[in-house]
Amino acid sequence: MNTTIKEQNGEMVALFEGRLDTAAAPQAEKDIQPLLATSGQNIVLDCNALEYISSSGLRLFLTVLKCAKAKGGHVFITGMNNDIRNVFAMTGFTNLFEFR
Amino acid sequence: MKHHLTLHNDVQEVPQLASFIDEVAEACGIDMATTMSLNLAMEEAVVNVMSYAYPAGTVGNVDIDAEFADGQLTFVLSDSGTPFDPTQAGTPDLTLDAEERPIGGLGIFLVRQIMDTIVYRRSDGKNILTLTKNIQPSNQTI
Repeated sequence: MNTTIKEQNGEMVALFEGRLDTAAAPQAEKDIQPLLATSGQNIVLDCNALEYISSSGLRLFLTVLKCAKAKGGHVFITGMNNDIRNVFAMTGFTNLFEFR
Repeated sequence: MKHHLTLHNDVQEVPQLASFIDEVAEACGIDMATTMSLNLAMEEAVVNVMSYAYPAGTVGNVDIDAEFADGQLTFVLSDSGTPFDPTQAGTPDLTLDAEERPIGGLGIFLVRQIMDTIVYRRSDGKNILTLTKNIQPSNQTI
């Protein structure tokens, strides 16, 4: 599991690659710290290379969202595959996030 | 067809569970999408046991047995930790918006969404959780 953060067009983009399962979550939590330190910029969670997500990963996404919202920023999700989309639908997460 | 795996209560062993589920699914001819769902349900169930069954700081085992018969896939998770019934957890409110959604509570909910039956019992000092999923022919790749 790899998480890369970069700034692009005034937005913070996080690229997730691999499986965001319970084993990978602790490292991912460390890697996303820059997203939690923004001053209200929009955040893009790029899931094009994300193969799998479990509740630990959903928890991480929710933490990013809560933090961004508190600062007036939006969180956009891009490139989810059907399996991830399914998990979002099952858990009501589809209604929490914005999609591009 | 029966399969077995023993893990320790260490979430870093979750990738071993993923490989096990992939092997079982492949042996049963189950399609990718269903395999992914099984992976998710089993990770949630197993991580719950790893997190709550044994006192912090102690090493304990989680045993997973899988059997496929008559179109039904059955997983039995057992551990010799403290009595812990994950089926008693309440259902999260999925309609709350982001600020109000609590960070936890999704694990067992996902298991319920994905698996057809979940039964807990306590026997001989062990927690035994039995999960089943009916596999339709359309979920099998021939």
